[in-house]
Amino acid sequence: MADAIEMLETIGRSASLRHASAEELTHILERELAPEALVAAVTQEDSSLLHAMLGSRLNQVPQVVQTPGREEEEPEPEDEEDPLTSVIPSRPK
Amino acid sequence: MNTPISPALDVTRRGSLACVGLGMTLGSHLTPLARSHIEQADVVFAALSDGVVELWLERMHPDVRSLQPYYAEGKSRMKTYRQWVELMMAEVRAGKRVCGVFYGHPGVFAWSPHKAIAMARAEGFEAHMEPGISAEDCLYADLGIDPGRYGCQHFEASQLLFYERRIDPAGYLVLWQAGLVGDRSLARFKTGSAYRQLLVELLEQDYPLGHPVIIYRAATLPIDRPRIRHMALRDLAQATLTPEETIVLPPACILKPNLAMHERLEALDRQDKTDALA
Repeated sequence: MADAIEMLETIGRSASLRHASAEELTHILERELAPEALVAAVTQEDSSLLHAMLGSRLNQVPQVVQTPGREEEEPEPEDEEDPLTSVIPSRPK
Repeated sequence: MNTPISPALDVTRRGSLACVGLGMTLGSHLTPLARSHIEQADVVFAALSDGVVELWLERMHPDVRSLQPYYAEGKSRMKTYRQWVELMMAEVRAGKRVCGVFYGHPGVFAWSPHKAIAMARAEGFEAHMEPGISAEDCLYADLGIDPGRYGCQHFEASQLLFYERRIDPAGYLVLWQAGLVGDRSLARFKTGSAYRQLLVELLEQDYPLGHPVIIYRAATLPIDRPRIRHMALRDLAQATLTPEETIVLPPACILKPNLAMHERLEALDRQDKTDALA
């Protein structure tokens, strides 16, 4: 029997499963004896149930560019030529 | 005579760095080449958008090191990103084949992969980036937008507040990371409605307050649907936004023909015909 991660990968790779309705997917997962939390996450359209079962962390996503934070960089020749650095507003103290 | 490859070559092997994108949705977007980089690496660093996706990555390699713990509320993200670069570079310098795995595309709205690759190359190591399917790619598909139709501007939302930029309301406007717009400290993961109100006031210079706004989030798990919300610009400040959500403003005016350039093109066309007949 596949575990939740393997089943998620299978769903993600499948043209028929990836866009199946929650009802269809629930039926298929129950037939394949999927972990209860995965079935519940699909049925209730709430993937946090899956996070809870797998004990996975809630990740931060921000990755930013051209922010005032660039002024914290150590000076480099390329940065000296970067016009952005000359108009960066001052940071709060 | 063939010279046998000395085992010592393994010891003196130069480190290398590959930064690859995992795409946005588990199981759906990972390219064969990116997977190969992951599988062939000595060590894998992961900066992913979803903890479950991170568990999936751990199935592909026995030594996956999450970069998430280096984030902290109150700590500048630039400090975090510099740490990421140093972590990857330390292993490269130690002669390891290093793979940095980032959600979406590793080179889009991502500082550390570009920085790490530049640093590795400057130090004489082999380094390159493999693209991945980004949130922007998903946005076009899920919202049915073709950026070529009217043109499309993309900004990190804060950049619109920090710098004097020119918005073209005849095209699409896409604002990233609006949930933390105006955060000059780089130490917060969200900002409040007063910050978004400043953004609304800025946008009001080019758009009516009743202009439609789409708030979008790509699916990270294949059991999820993309999250798409519609509202008027005036309601944006009071809306709840997460850092991973993106704001899309459709065009507010029609494309205005450039009559002067049309005349010049017509003159060129006439000249072309004259030259062809000569």
